[in-house]
Parts: sequence; structure tokens; C-alpha cells
Amino acid sequence: MKKALGVLIAAALLFSLVGCGQPAPKEWTIPFLNSLTGAIASIGEYLEWGAERAAKEINDAGGIKGKPVRVVGVDTALDPQKGSTEMARLVKDSLVALGPVPEPVIMAAMPIAVENGMPSITATTSLEYAQKFFPWTISWFPSTQERLAPLVAAWAKQFPDMKQVVQFVENYGPWPGMADAHVAGITGLGIKVLDKVEVPSDAVTFGPLVVKALNEKPDGIVFVCKPASAAKLIKELKSRGWKNMDHLLLFSSADAPDLYATGGKDLNGAEIYNYINPGLDSPRWNAFKQAYGDSHKGEQPPSLSTNYYDAVYMIKDAIEKTGVTGSPGKLKAERKMIADYMQNVKGFHGIMFDWDMKEGVPTNKPTYIFKIQDGQKVMVQEVK
Amino acid sequence: MPLPLYYFLSITAVNILLSWALYLPYRVGQLHFITVANMAISGYTAAWLVMSLNVPFAWALLAGFALGGIVGWLVSLFIGNAPTFAVVIVGFTFIFITRTVIENLKAVGGAMGIFGLPNIGGSPGAHRWTIMAILAGLLLLVGFLLHRFDHSRLGRAASAVFMDKELAASLGVDIRGLGRLLQTVSCTVAGGAGVLYGFIYKSFHLDFFTFALVGIAMTVIFVGGYATQWGTVVLAPILYGVPLLFPPSIQEWRIVIYGALLVLVLVLKPEGFITRRFVFSIESFLSGVRKKRNIL
Repeated sequence: MKKALGVLIAAALLFSLVGCGQPAPKEWTIPFLNSLTGAIASIGEYLEWGAERAAKEINDAGGIKGKPVRVVGVDTALDPQKGSTEMARLVKDSLVALGPVPEPVIMAAMPIAVENGMPSITATTSLEYAQKFFPWTISWFPSTQERLAPLVAAWAKQFPDMKQVVQFVENYGPWPGMADAHVAGITGLGIKVLDKVEVPSDAVTFGPLVVKALNEKPDGIVFVCKPASAAKLIKELKSRGWKNMDHLLLFSSADAPDLYATGGKDLNGAEIYNYINPGLDSPRWNAFKQAYGDSHKGEQPPSLSTNYYDAVYMIKDAIEKTGVTGSPGKLKAERKMIADYMQNVKGFHGIMFDWDMKEGVPTNKPTYIFKIQDGQKVMVQEVK
Repeated sequence: MPLPLYYFLSITAVNILLSWALYLPYRVGQLHFITVANMAISGYTAAWLVMSLNVPFAWALLAGFALGGIVGWLVSLFIGNAPTFAVVIVGFTFIFITRTVIENLKAVGGAMGIFGLPNIGGSPGAHRWTIMAILAGLLLLVGFLLHRFDHSRLGRAASAVFMDKELAASLGVDIRGLGRLLQTVSCTVAGGAGVLYGFIYKSFHLDFFTFALVGIAMTVIFVGGYATQWGTVVLAPILYGVPLLFPPSIQEWRIVIYGALLVLVLVLKPEGFITRRFVFSIESFLSGVRKKRNIL
């Protein structure tokens, strides 16, 4: 009996040593749970493009600790069922992941990452979603209330004549919370916020919604809805005689190619806020813009295209600065090292600006207000 | 149990339950999409009971079944023997209404959803085994009841209604009563499935209950075979599992493959893969083997 026990213990020790001695992989593989098919496939494409662009740059510069990095797209097709099963596969042996995208898949899949202690960067959602999964993810954005209230107040301050504002709001994920933050910013200036007009997700005709809004006699309007819906609402407004185009403010999620494709010149003069400044003149950003245009028929990079680009660089920094080896035997400990590093990274060199993280939340990212002119954004002001 | 296997099995089980919930009223020719809305109503209610009122999961699950049944029964009072198209419209409308109500209910997280549902049984492992055990039990129970129904007078009455309502009525079938019964049972099953669906993910988001779910159930029923319960059992794991095995290069063509499969089946085998004749022949074969064994 004792002999058998001894053999068992020896075998267990041997197996554990085998685990420790497993060589580190020859390349760093970063799976990216992304929606590459389905309703938001076009967004998924440029998110992935940004991540792969970062991997290419890193590899051209010698890789991470001398080993190449590879971003592997895992399609969740906007489907929570698929997202959860794919995440369940990844947590077995991935060091770190990107995604999931968007909120329904995040909610179905991130609990699996949390339960298994694997960091996964959800760089497109708001703090209100991301913080539920701390410390195994980080928020790409500060608190909606803290960030958006001063931003929208800065927009409203430009127009002393503006006394009443109405919002078009679509009930999707974090958007109603963003609309609430707008209200806080606007009312802080003594401007009256009128009853919001709900935009159904499947709205086809926008005339009745615009009539409803105009009946409230607003002199400023904020759009918190899908890009194409916002563009159609603005077209309807113009057809009903709206003149003060700069008294229209579009929120950041509307800043996507379909806004400009649908709205065309009717958007001229309207203002929009976002977190990246396409007019920035730096070698790194110019190279990014050039490469994006080359692979996208000359288009400008959309606002979210840099998020996963920066996320891949943040993973690179985490691996290099924490001594992560990628050895399967140290998987659990090294996942924790990466998660801890990202929670409180200081002076991270993003493609647009440097920023710090404090307990998973960025502390000093700027935001910008632009005026739309012929499909381009012209900076009005930076709001910190 | 390996994690991917758990998610595969548990989500497949929910898909089978949902498909059966649709299959049941379709026995009298009604496509009852209200089942998807019922999944959301019962799921959110159970989550609220557990998270806000600390109600034990078992009671919340029972409440989910009960609520599903009550909603189904109330609606069936109006559409018990309505024609297929009317039932479809009511179902779609109900999904829209449910979404709008939940979106505006702060108590259940509104548009953001509900996060951090607790582990049943205290640990993640216990949670998974509990969910699997409940789903397995439910599949056996609902499957058994469906089998009994299909072989009962009620089942034959349903077949008669499916073929010709007027003929069935002339034979004394209570069409409205039968429709109400099937709709109520269907919604009860869907309610429970909705609770379990959210507890698998440990969260609820309105986009868990979209028309995509209707699409999955419809494909399962019509490709698998709408005339028996077994088509669902065969096709649900295939439809959900096979795409997971696709290499990444083919993954992007998944929807095209689904579409082609659906068109091919509808053209070549309109009754679906598992037909009633096929099931009868299997049953006859099995009963023949049994008889032979008894004689020997």
C-alpha cells in the first residue's frame, strides 16, 4: 500500500514538473473575440485591423521579447451563445485575450474569463460594463458621468442663446446612461432639458420622431442613437427648416462610416464629440492613417479603430515590464501579473496621447468636440 | 466537466427546450413566438427575485415556470384558436412590448442588463453541475411528456387540427381548448428555459432574447423535422456544435452554409430530416425486436 502511494506521489510530482518545464511558446498568440460576421461585422473588421496593425508593427520591430506576436480573430457573430463557448475554449490556455465585442457578448462571455482568472481587454465598452469584470479587464473610458457632463457642457457654453435642449435617445446598452450624463452637463448651465424622444432600434421612418421633438420647441439637440438613425434624423430636421446646425451634437458612438455615408452634406456644421483626434500630426498616427487608407479605399480611420491597436501595445508593455515568460506552467501567475499591470499602468504611450490607469480606469484621457464639414471632422475644442 | 463541453451541452439543452416550446403549438399549426418573450419575462423576473429579494434559486426557477405559464394562458384566452399568421403577429408584437418594458425598468438594469448572478450551490463547479442536472431532468421530463402527448388522443386531435381545422371540429375536437392548452404548456417550458439561459451566462441582457433566437429554433424545427419531437433533439446539437468545429476561414461563411442548408432541406425534404414515417419505422423495428426477444 505504502509502495503504491509512493509511486502515486512520485508520478504526481513528475507530472507537476513536466508542467513547469513546458517550454514557452515560440510566438505570443492573442485571441480576439470579435464580431466578424453579423450586424456589426464592419465595426469588427476595423477593430481587428487595428489590432493586427499593432502586431505587424511590433513584429517589424523585433516582436515581444524577441518573439513574434499574432492576433487571432475569433468570430462570435454577435451571438452570446457562440461568445460564451469560444471564451470557454480560450480560458484553458490563453495568457490574455482581446474583446469580447459588443455588450451582449461581453455579458455572456466575460464571467467565464473572470471565473478562470484570464485578463481580456474589452476596449469598446463603457466603464459601467467593464467595471463589473475588474480586475480581469480594464475600462478604456472613464466614468460616463465624469467624462460626458463637462464635455457636453463645453459644447453648450458655445451658444449663450441656447435655452432648451432635447435628446434623441435609443435604448441600447450604455446609451441611456450617456444621455443622463448629457442632462447633468446641460442642466448645470441652467439650460432646460426637454422630454427625450426615444428612437426605436428598428425605426424606419424618422419624420414623426422629428415632429415630436420640434413640438417641444428646442434650440439645441443631442443625438444618442445609431449613426444611420442620427443621419436620417438630421436630414428630417433640415427638411423641416432647422438652421442652427452647430446646435446639433452627435455622441461618440454615432461617429462611424455609416453616419457620413448616410448624412452626406446634410451633416455640415453639426458638432460631434469623440476620444480621438484625426487631425493629430504625429509620425505614428500619420503612418496608421496612411495604412488604414491604403487598405480601405482611402477612408479615414473610424473612431474605435485605435482601441485594440493600443490594447495590443499595452499587452506588449505588460509582458515586457513584468517578466512574463508565456510558459504554460506559470499561466495562472502570469495572467495575474498582466491584469495587475494593466490596472495601474502609468504613462502608457497610446497612438494619440499618453495616459495613466488607476485601478482599471483611465484618469487623464482627453475628449474632443469637432465640427463636421464634408465628411471630415474639424476640431472645435479639446476638453480635459 | 470541461468548460467548453458544459457550455455546449447546456446551451444546446436550452435550444432544445425552446424548440420544443415552439414545436408544441405548431402541432396545431400555430407559430407561437411569444415563447421568446416569455423566456425574457421569466428570466428577468427570476434574476430580480434572486438578486434583489434574495429568493433561493429553486423558488425563482419555479416562479419563472409559473409566470411563463400564466402569461401564456392569459394570451391564449385571446388567440387560442387564432390562425397561424395572427399568432405570429401577436408573438412578434409581444417580443417588442417585452423589450420596451424591460428597457425602461431600472429595477432589472434597464438597457444595461443584470450582472453578477450568483453561483447556485456556492461554487462555479457546483453551479455548472446543478444547471446541467436541472436541464437534463427537464429534457427528460418534457421529452417524456411530449412523447406521451404525441401518442395520445390529444396528439391525434392536434394532428387532425393541423391537417384541417374544420374536419377536426366536425370530429368533436375542441380546437380552442387544445390551442390554449398547448400554448400554456409551451410558455411554461419557455419560461423555465429563460431562467436557466440567463443563469448559464450569470447575466441577463435583452439581446440574449432577440429574433436570432427565434431563427435558431425555427431552423432546428424545420430542418430537423417539424412533425416529431426527435428532429429537434438531433438538429439542435448539430446546428450549434458543428460551426464551432469549422476552421476560422470557413467560420465567416457560417450564415451562408445555414441558409443553403435550410433551402436545400425545404426543397428536397420539406418535412425535415426526421419525419414521422421515419420515427414510426424505428419504433416498429424496436417493438419487433422486443417481441422477438419475448418469444425467444
